[in-house]
Amino acid sequence: MAKITYLEANGREHVVDVCAGLTVMEGARNHGVPGILADCGGNCACGTCRVYIDEPWLAKAGEASEVEAATIEAQEDAGPGKRLSCQIKVADELDGLVVRMPETQC
Amino acid sequence: MQRIDELELPYLPMEEAAFASNPWPQLAAAREAHPWLAKAAFGFAVHQFGAMKDLLWRDEYLQTRIDNVLEVMDADGTEWGRFEKYSLLARQGAPHERIRSVLAPAFTPRQANRHRPLMQGVISELLDEWVPRREFDFEEFASNFPIGVMCSLIGAPRSAIPELRSSLEALGLSFSMDRNHLPALENAMNVMNGFVQRLVAERKAARLPQGEEDLLEILLDTVERGDLSERELFDLLIFLFVAGYDTSKNALTLLMSVLIDKPRIYERCAEDKAYCRRVVEENFRYLTTSTIPRTVVKAITYRDVLIPEGTELFFPVSIAGRDPTAYDDPDSFDPGRKEIKKHLTFGMGGHICLGQFIARAQIEEGLHLIARRMKNPRRTGPSSWRPFFGVWGLKGLPFAFDPADLKEDARLDA
Repeated sequence: MAKITYLEANGREHVVDVCAGLTVMEGARNHGVPGILADCGGNCACGTCRVYIDEPWLAKAGEASEVEAATIEAQEDAGPGKRLSCQIKVADELDGLVVRMPETQC
Repeated sequence: MQRIDELELPYLPMEEAAFASNPWPQLAAAREAHPWLAKAAFGFAVHQFGAMKDLLWRDEYLQTRIDNVLEVMDADGTEWGRFEKYSLLARQGAPHERIRSVLAPAFTPRQANRHRPLMQGVISELLDEWVPRREFDFEEFASNFPIGVMCSLIGAPRSAIPELRSSLEALGLSFSMDRNHLPALENAMNVMNGFVQRLVAERKAARLPQGEEDLLEILLDTVERGDLSERELFDLLIFLFVAGYDTSKNALTLLMSVLIDKPRIYERCAEDKAYCRRVVEENFRYLTTSTIPRTVVKAITYRDVLIPEGTELFFPVSIAGRDPTAYDDPDSFDPGRKEIKKHLTFGMGGHICLGQFIARAQIEEGLHLIARRMKNPRRTGPSSWRPFFGVWGLKGLPFAFDPADLKEDARLDA
């Protein structure tokens, strides 16, 4: 179990306990956190579950695959630490993770 | 809680030609009678944007069961039936993930952007050929664009386009749920099979050098590694043509039909490619093509309605963008809308359209260059409508235009 803070672009926080093995996207969806659409259901195919992660969490979240990198780079909101939340598996070492969501996913 | 089949529901006659030509009054009446659900031929229609958004991604409960379509089409034992039964759309779980993961790297936004010069080349060649005519059926013109792009992506000769076009026209009616189309579907499958098998044989005899690999080379490497059978390769190639043909062609034709009546927006598309992106996305909301069929494979309760296993649900994403509960002023075409990509055109879940980024890039590039070369478009005759089930759209868009002044074109280039 990891405590994850989802931060909306307007500053509103959602602190959620997410089971290890789920993805950060599933954690949001299961708890009704707004701001993560995940149109493709977590298949790394749409880019609508984007989040921003600051160091040091970015390193702990693991490397983005080539398909993930090729999917997020074309999205218009830009900035360092952009990841697809459907591709980040929750593990105990992510306890305390803070993810920031873009103003819009679409 | 009530079972879905116990509800008093309106009927949406999606199978009728009159509905295909003007679904809006009956859709409005259906919304009045029930907020998200209607009866339809072969099952139920989920007509509210929010309900589609809540349900469509739930692959655990809702799957495409091609067997049901094949039964309606009386297609058991046919080559078309075999193709559909084993197509990417029909596969679920691990078999679907295996094929999808082979294709995914070639269909990312990055790859789609890399193909933009190729798309510009294809549409420019088409415009060079067609613009001097000054008057033609825009749908026929548009139909050459996605086939031309796909031929270029897999290194197929453009001379194949006329033969492919008529077969792809026939295959565009695959999900029309009308068995009268079966002989044409079967004939088209034979043509497409012959085409892809020749293409693969020729490429095997003359592989492209390293550094010049195209999509076909990537797929052939996958076959050589044992991750894809040769039959799967043939079917995938056919699938890529079929999936990218009438959706893109119909979307571009619907877009032109809308923009004929919005000359200021059309004119701006000639000058501002970034604006084209907003116009294309807005039309994906405003008037688009598909109805997605799903079979309930595990009973699901939604908004206190029990939908039992075996229920057939249809999601007409083609009209979801006109839902007043989802959009302000949904009947107005506004490329300045916030959240311009909040539409369901490409579906949801594991079967979300693989080619969505290619389709977007292709239509954006196409619109920009078409608007530059064809000025003052106007209708010269009526259009009719394709069946609403499957891939909806206009059948024919006779139109005339003024060819662009090439000096003006050069000014825009500068």
